[in-house]
Amino acid sequence: MRGKFLAAMIVIALGVGARGFFSPADARVSLEKCTLCHGKPEFRKILVDGKIRDLLATGETLKGSVHEKKTCVDCHFDVSEIPHRQRPKRVVCTHCHYKGNAEGAPQSDAYLEYFGSVHGTAIARGNTKAPLCQDCHGSHAIRKAKDPASAVARRGVAETCGRCHIEIYAQYKTSIHGVALSKQITEAPSCTGCHGEHKIYGHKDPKSTVFATHVAEQCSTCHASVAIMSKFGIDSEQVTTYQNSFHGVASKFGSRTVANCASCHGIHDIRPPEDPLSMVNPKNVPATCGKCHPGANPNFAVGKMHVDSHKKESGVIYYTALFFKYLTIGTMLALIAHIFLDMYGRSKRLRGER
Amino acid sequence: MSVDEKKNSKRETLEQEIEAAVAEGTADLEPSEAEKIREKVRARVLEEVERERRIRTAAERRAEERRRREEKRREKHPEEGEMFQRFNRNFRFQHIVMFTSVILLIITGMPIKFPDFVLSRFLVNLWGGFHNSTIVHRIGAGMLIYFMVHHLFYTVLSRQGRRDFVLLIPTPKDARDLVQNIRHFLGKVPEKPRFGRFSYIEKFDYWAVYWGCVIMIGSGLFLWGESIALKYFPKYILDVAHEMHSDEAMLATLAIVIWHFYNVHFNPDRFPGTLMWWHGEISEHEMKEEHPLEYEEMMAKRSKQEAAEVTNR
Repeated sequence: MRGKFLAAMIVIALGVGARGFFSPADARVSLEKCTLCHGKPEFRKILVDGKIRDLLATGETLKGSVHEKKTCVDCHFDVSEIPHRQRPKRVVCTHCHYKGNAEGAPQSDAYLEYFGSVHGTAIARGNTKAPLCQDCHGSHAIRKAKDPASAVARRGVAETCGRCHIEIYAQYKTSIHGVALSKQITEAPSCTGCHGEHKIYGHKDPKSTVFATHVAEQCSTCHASVAIMSKFGIDSEQVTTYQNSFHGVASKFGSRTVANCASCHGIHDIRPPEDPLSMVNPKNVPATCGKCHPGANPNFAVGKMHVDSHKKESGVIYYTALFFKYLTIGTMLALIAHIFLDMYGRSKRLRGER
Repeated sequence: MSVDEKKNSKRETLEQEIEAAVAEGTADLEPSEAEKIREKVRARVLEEVERERRIRTAAERRAEERRRREEKRREKHPEEGEMFQRFNRNFRFQHIVMFTSVILLIITGMPIKFPDFVLSRFLVNLWGGFHNSTIVHRIGAGMLIYFMVHHLFYTVLSRQGRRDFVLLIPTPKDARDLVQNIRHFLGKVPEKPRFGRFSYIEKFDYWAVYWGCVIMIGSGLFLWGESIALKYFPKYILDVAHEMHSDEAMLATLAIVIWHFYNVHFNPDRFPGTLMWWHGEISEHEMKEEHPLEYEEMMAKRSKQEAAEVTNR
């Protein structure tokens, strides 16, 4: 009771709820009463733009969703009389979803990241096209993210994001990650795999997981993992070799102009190097490198890209490294030995003199 | 003012002496002809005297300055003895250019080799970000290239440079010196090897810098003009250049920090370092200690000169 009262107070405080004080008990409208109208299959509304809005909502609507045990007015609590005179307001999820709630919602504040995200700030600025909770999670058919049928499950989330980001969705769908995911390879990343879930930022925002200097780190969450990469026969050292290269070091020190993974491999349209459409296909390498190194020619593609000088496969580079390794060790050992002999002689003579 | 007056009076007496000599030489000639010759001689002599005086004043000023310094030092450290010039001004300038550029190159280059080292981020941000750090690295590279070119010209064109170059060529004596020095360190032989102008340690340093400069500048130019280099060479050649640049940088840095710093800074004889790189002078005491053969050579030359002066008189 006390919890409900508090919840009602918060609703008032948020300025979303009622125009006056009302007892939560009064607001109870049973499900049967709603289905009087909303249970009819032909109950729909024609909007001004000609679209038909289906208003069907029966006892089955919430079945299987996380809100299975809730009733209509638990969310549509501004409906206090039947028939309601106005269109009910948009449901406010934070009514229940906050840490410390007594409604049985998950005790999590994770959604708070949404308000700082590119979507949340767009909403705050008054962009009506920006998504709210229900735009991604669904309105009645909300399921847990782990449930494959959920709109935000790994397999389905790309389609959900693609409802607005249609061009990117098309690129992603034909990319190696999109294709892999559609082949039921659950390790492959979907949108949220790289961009994050609630904390999605624009790629020019330094907070973003896909900001220029964070890209390598983001890709390395999977591509540096031997456990994942060995399954698909992909080299897991690509990340290390990149990080040790000039590009990787410059990126580490905050250079935003230097190449990161996405500069060469593509962003949403990443394809395997054998694919003729791939940016890293040897035929396309001059064009890809040419984005930063004007006048790039086929010479750019001669030799391995991700070179590891410690590996014998690197050929002449490996032998150069080997030569310098032994030269350095040999020279330094000789020089240090000379220094220690000198010091030994000095201390000996010093003792002798005393 | 008094110096100028003194010089003027000196000049007047000299003029009078010459005048007298000319008068004596032309005594039996006709007056008009004698006057002509006298005029000619006077003009020529005046020219000569003037030039001499000009040369003297510059040289004298330097000598005076040096003498005063010497006196001061001798009062402070009477045991050091006379000062000799070991490195001339040109040579010291080259060394200063080189170590400035090498320090710049190391502090802007090493963070790229060791990005996770604690100081790396600080060293990069010192210049205001990575991009600026790469610019400073190229400034250092430009200085090192200038040094290399300067030194090559110095070696070819300057007498001192040619002489030093010849003396820097390794000889069998260096191997013998090395063996004797190690035996001396171990206490097998009581006396140190007697070095000439350059000991084998200094020769090693010199040729190490040569090798380092060739590798670093050669590979560095490939990396500097990567677009041009890739027009003519495949990518793996650039990777080789990158590997060489990175590895030789490590070797050079270690050699400088451990070997050179020990020999010129941490060595108990030198600690915390001498100012020889600045004034280029070495004391008689040090000379006898470190370069006895050169000292003897100089002394022999000096006594020969003195003897020659005596006979000339």
